Amino acid sequence: MPANRLIPSLLLREGRLVKGRAFAEHRDAGNPATTARAHNAQGADEIIVLDIDASRDRRPPDLDTVAVVAAETQIPLTVGGGVDSVDMARACLGAGADKICLTSTARQRPELISEIARLCGRQAVVLGIDIETGADGSRKLYDHRTGSADGATDWRHWLAEGVTRGAGEIRLMAVDREGTRTGFDTALFHDARAYVNVPIILEGGAGTLDQLTDAMEAGVDSLALGTMLVFSDNNIVKLKRVLANAGQPMRP
Amino acid sequence: MNVTVVDYGAGNIRSVENILDHAGADALVTGAPDEIAAAERIILPGVGAAGSALAVLRTQGLDQALQSARARGTPILGICLGLQLLADEIEEFGSHEGFGWFDGHVGPIENVAGTGIRSPHIGWTRIDPVEGPASTFFGRNEKSNYFYFCHSNCLVTDRVAIAATADIGGGNDAEIVAAIQKDNVVAVQFHPEKSQLNGLRLIETFLDWTP
Repeated sequence: MPANRLIPSLLLREGRLVKGRAFAEHRDAGNPATTARAHNAQGADEIIVLDIDASRDRRPPDLDTVAVVAAETQIPLTVGGGVDSVDMARACLGAGADKICLTSTARQRPELISEIARLCGRQAVVLGIDIETGADGSRKLYDHRTGSADGATDWRHWLAEGVTRGAGEIRLMAVDREGTRTGFDTALFHDARAYVNVPIILEGGAGTLDQLTDAMEAGVDSLALGTMLVFSDNNIVKLKRVLANAGQPMRP
Repeated sequence: MNVTVVDYGAGNIRSVENILDHAGADALVTGAPDEIAAAERIILPGVGAAGSALAVLRTQGLDQALQSARARGTPILGICLGLQLLADEIEEFGSHEGFGWFDGHVGPIENVAGTGIRSPHIGWTRIDPVEGPASTFFGRNEKSNYFYFCHSNCLVTDRVAIAATADIGGGNDAEIVAAIQKDNVVAVQFHPEKSQLNGLRLIETFLDWTP
């Protein structure tokens, strides 16, 4: 069995890392290369780097930074942000990415998923699903381009369609929990799990060690962490030790 | 030490160059058949789909170059897709004829592990080395045998060539082939270039390997 995964999720803007709250209020969060090197040294299981302005600015992700991060790490690297063609996906892999994360660009043109899967294999295609949960518990796809929820599409249908088209992994983001430290939305994970059989990485809401243990005990095997690793004295070594002591199968 | 890394347009070559650099070797990345045929040591990396990879390798004459290097006894390391291409047959977006260096065929993980298995198999899984000539490539304890896997297909082959297996879970605790070795060819389903110290040690072993 693969070990459970802890995955730092880094947001990139103009060559620096930033961290926000519910996809806004971004603050500076450090140098990408130094941060990635630290996560690598501390035993992070993978790293995700998302260039948050690329899609809106209609440009490729910052490949110079991707190459530097790749050179500093010997763990898998997922890159996302503005990848809207097979050539751009290939350029990301050439810079040292192992997997491509598609979110808005896949919504815009779903065929992109199968095009990249056909060339790079489906294990290299991560589909980003951003979910906004309403006060009434209703879940909607969040659309970056408009900055609002897309009420017209059933998110579970899009999830299943993405996997059918060739996505080999899902990055499932609870948008309203991002940066709030209120804990993971494990119910969202299980909703998605019922629809697809590919690995799912859950993100959004990590704040305390207990919340990580709770999420894994609730059956979520892969967690992405942003804020929790940025603005605190937490580090991967400590988190993995706590999780392993709680009986979770972590990579030693 | 020079290591020739086969460039056929698919795959994360940069990471292989990075790990060779860490291991103190010089990487020569090339798609030139004569350079590959004359190489000292070869890594055949691979991320991507088998069909398009095989088409490129054959069009550029790299299959023949690799075959002649193999016949000369050049140590060759295949990684991920670079393992799968060595089989008789690969089933992915249609059926493709592989190099045939190893008996067996490559197909979806579900064929081995049952439809309940999570696929692709992505993450750090502990391998179980099989005692034999390739044992030196792997660690001696549990911690040193975690490697990063990222694949949808796996090889089904005769036991003789299997150098390591991995238990990927699921209902029937399915075992997949994690590594194979025959003569001067060793190939791994996982990614040593993405497996931190365990991967670095495997690469260093390959650099010292005298098959």
